[in-house]
Amino acid sequence: MKKILAISLKDTMLRFSSWVEWLFFLILPIIFTIILGGGTGTPPDSRVHLLVVDLANSSLSTDLESALENSEAVRPEVVELKKAEDQFSQRSVSAILIIPENFTIETLADQKIELEMRQQPNNLDSLVAQQAVNSVISRVSSSIQIANSSVAAAEKIKAFDNANTRQAYYDASLSEARELMADAPDRVSISQGGTNDQSDYDPRANSSAGQMITWVFIPLIALSEMFATERQMGTLRRLLTTPTRKATYLLGTISGQVVLALIQMILLIGFGVLVMKVNWGREIGGLAVILLTSALAAAAFGTMLGTFVKTSSQAQGLSIMLGMVMALLGGCWYPLELFPQTVQTIVKVLPTTWAMKGLMDLLANGQNLIGILPEAGVLLGFAAVFFVIGITRFRYE
Amino acid sequence: MKKLFIIGLKDLKIVFRDKPALIMMLLAPFLLTLGLGLVSGRLSSGSSSGINNIPVILVNQDEGQLGQALVDLFTSDQLAELVTPELLSDPQAARQQVDDDISTAMVLIPAGFTESVIPTDPQNPGPTLKIDIYFNPTRPTSAGVIKTIVDEFISRVEVGRVSGEVAITQLIQNGLIQPQEAMQIAQEIGIGSAESAGTSDAIILKTSTNDGSPMEFDVLAYMAPGMALMFLLFTVSNGGRSLLTERAQGTLPRILVSPTTSSQILGGKIFGIFLTGTVQMLILIVASTVFFQLSWGDPLAVLVLVLASVIGAVGWGLLLTAIARTPGQISAVGTALMLIFGIMGGSFVSRDMLPGWLKTLSLVTPNAWGLDGFQTLALGGTLRNIMTPILGLLVMGIVLFGISSYLFNRNGIAKG
Repeated sequence: MKKILAISLKDTMLRFSSWVEWLFFLILPIIFTIILGGGTGTPPDSRVHLLVVDLANSSLSTDLESALENSEAVRPEVVELKKAEDQFSQRSVSAILIIPENFTIETLADQKIELEMRQQPNNLDSLVAQQAVNSVISRVSSSIQIANSSVAAAEKIKAFDNANTRQAYYDASLSEARELMADAPDRVSISQGGTNDQSDYDPRANSSAGQMITWVFIPLIALSEMFATERQMGTLRRLLTTPTRKATYLLGTISGQVVLALIQMILLIGFGVLVMKVNWGREIGGLAVILLTSALAAAAFGTMLGTFVKTSSQAQGLSIMLGMVMALLGGCWYPLELFPQTVQTIVKVLPTTWAMKGLMDLLANGQNLIGILPEAGVLLGFAAVFFVIGITRFRYE
Repeated sequence: MKKLFIIGLKDLKIVFRDKPALIMMLLAPFLLTLGLGLVSGRLSSGSSSGINNIPVILVNQDEGQLGQALVDLFTSDQLAELVTPELLSDPQAARQQVDDDISTAMVLIPAGFTESVIPTDPQNPGPTLKIDIYFNPTRPTSAGVIKTIVDEFISRVEVGRVSGEVAITQLIQNGLIQPQEAMQIAQEIGIGSAESAGTSDAIILKTSTNDGSPMEFDVLAYMAPGMALMFLLFTVSNGGRSLLTERAQGTLPRILVSPTTSSQILGGKIFGIFLTGTVQMLILIVASTVFFQLSWGDPLAVLVLVLASVIGAVGWGLLLTAIARTPGQISAVGTALMLIFGIMGGSFVSRDMLPGWLKTLSLVTPNAWGLDGFQTLALGGTLRNIMTPILGLLVMGIVLFGISSYLFNRNGIAKG
C-alpha cells in the first residue's frame, strides 16, 4: 500500500511540476464549458439581429414589424436602405428584409406582394431569420386570407353593389379576423418527460457534462504518455531491480491518475453548480458512480494505449487526438440527437458515449442511481476489457 | 540565402518523417473534420442536418376529424424522412417510452378535441381542450421539431375556425344568410381555409445571398478550414519546439561552428516552420476536396490566404519560442494556445456566438481572420474580397515577428 501511495504521489508531483498543467486541469475546461454553454454573458437579447427596411410605411408594414418584434427568434431594427446595405456588405448583420413601397392592404386585395430578404451565405443565423420571417408572414397573411375568403363567401351569394361596399366588407372582415386570431386560445400544452422536479432543459448542463468528460478523458488517455516516457527514459527497467511487482507499479500509477481525475471532476462540478447553475446535486450517489466508472474506463483505455505506442510524443499526440475525436463522437460537444441514426448506433462502441449518456440521464432525464446502472455497467465493462489488454501487453522495456 | 533554404527544407523533411507530429498535423484535423461531417449528416446523406427519422408516439383519443388530420399529417409522405411516428392507445405506455429515451415525444390528442375547436352547438361551446406534447428533455432539438409541427397544425386549424366564424358573422350582419344556415356554410369555409392556410402566396418572401445564389448551408465549409487552422497552431509551436530542442541537445552550437551565421540559422528555422505549415494546410485542403467534395473557392486566392494564415500563425509560434524555456513547456503551452485560439477564433463554434468583447479579442487569433477569408472564398469570393483578412494576418505576422526578434536578440536564442 505504501508503495502504491508513493508511486501515486510521485506521478502527481511530476504532473504538477509545471504551472502549465493547470491549463489543462482547470483553465481550459472552464473556458470551453463557458463558451460552449453560452454562459459568456450573452447579450440580454440573444435573438438574431435583422435589419428591416420599410419602404412602405403602411399599417400593414407596421403590423409586420410588430409581429417580428414579438418573435422569439429575431430582433428587428428598422433602418434606411443605405445603412442596411452598408452593414450587410460589411457582414455585420446576417440578413436584411426589404418591405416594398406597395406593401399595403389595398394592394394585397388585388395582387401578390414580394418581400425581399438578403442573407449572408452559409450562415445559420440568416436561416433562422428566414424561418422567423416566413412564420410572421404566414401569421400576417392568414388574417388577409380570412378576409378574402369572407368576401368570396359573400360574393357567392350576392355580388357587391360597388367597389366601396366590397372594400368596407373586406375591412370589417379583416378587422374581425385580426381580433379573433389575436384572441385564439392556447391549444397545446407542453410537459417535460422523466424529471421529478419539472425543471426546464438547460443547454449549459450539456456543456458542463460534455466538457468535463472531454477534459478528464484526455489526461487519463495520456497515461499512455507516462508509460511511454518512463519506458523511453529507462526508469521502468530500473524498477525491475527493486522489489516492486508489475501490479503494484500499475496500480500506483493508474490509481493516482484516477484520484486526480476525480478531484478534477469535483472541481468542474463545483464550477458548474456555482457559476453555470447546473443542478449537479440532484442524485449524488448516481453521479459518484458514473464519475468513478468513467474515470476507470478512460484510465484503462490509456493503459491499453500505452502498450501500443512507442514514444512519449506519439502518445501525447494520440491522447489529444483520440480524446477530442471520442468526445466529439460521444456527444460531448454537440447533443447526440443531432447525429444520424446510424452514427448514433456506431458511437455506442465509445466509452465517452456511455459516460455522457449517464451524466445526461442524471442531469436532464430525472434518473436515479438505479436508472444509470446500465451505463455504469457498460463503462465498467470497457474498463475491464481495456485493463486486461493493457496489463497483458505491458512490458518494462 | 541558399543555406536558409537548405535548413528550411531539412526541417520540413524531418517533420514529415515524424509520425507523432503527423498525427497532430494531418490525422487529427482530418478525423475531427470527418467526425463533424458524420455528426452533421453531411457525409451520410444529401441533407445538411443530422435531424431525421425522429421517433414520435401519437395517442389519438379524439374521435373527430381534427385528431385524424393530425395523425395523417405525421404519417404523410411530406414528413416521412423527418419523423417516424408510432400509434399507441395507452398514454402511460407512451410516456414510458419517452422516459426510457426510446422516443422523442408523445403527442396526445384528447377525446373531444374536434368538438372543442368546432362545437356542434356554437352557443354552448365546451372547455378548450389541449393537445399534450410530452417530450424527452435529452433531445431538445428533435422535440422542438415536433412542437413546430403541432404548432403549425394548430395554426391551420385556427385559421379554419376563424375563417368560418368571420364569414358567418359578416354574412349574418349584412343580411346575406339566416342564422340557421350558418353551421353548414361555416364548416365549408373553415375546411377550405384550413387546407389552404400557410400555402397562401399573397405575400411572397424572395430570398437571395449577396451574390444572388440561393441560400444553402454546408457545415463542412465552415468546419474544415476551422480544424485546419487550429492544427496549424500545433505545427508552428512544434517548429519552435524543434529550435529549443536543437539548443538543448547541442546541435545548434555545433551548426554555429560551421560558416553559418545565427541569423541564417534562425531564418532557416523560420522558413522551415513556414514551409511545414504551408504544406500541412495544402494537404488538408486537397484531402477535404477529394474526400468530402468540399469547394474551397478560387485556387489562387486560397493559396494566397494559406500563405497569409501561415505567416500569422508562424508569428505566434515564434513568440512562443521566444518566451518558453524548455521544449516541454513550448509543447504544452502550444497545445493550450491551439485549443484556446480554436475556440476563440471560431474553429469549434461560430464567433457570432461569442459576446462582443470576446469577439473583438478573438481578432488576435489567426483562426478568426483565416476563417473569415476561407468562408468568403468558399462562397464564391475572390482575392479582392479577402484583402482585409490577408492584411490582418500579415500585420499579425509582422508585429509578432518583430517582438520575437527583439526577444531572440535579448535572450540570444540562436546563439546556442
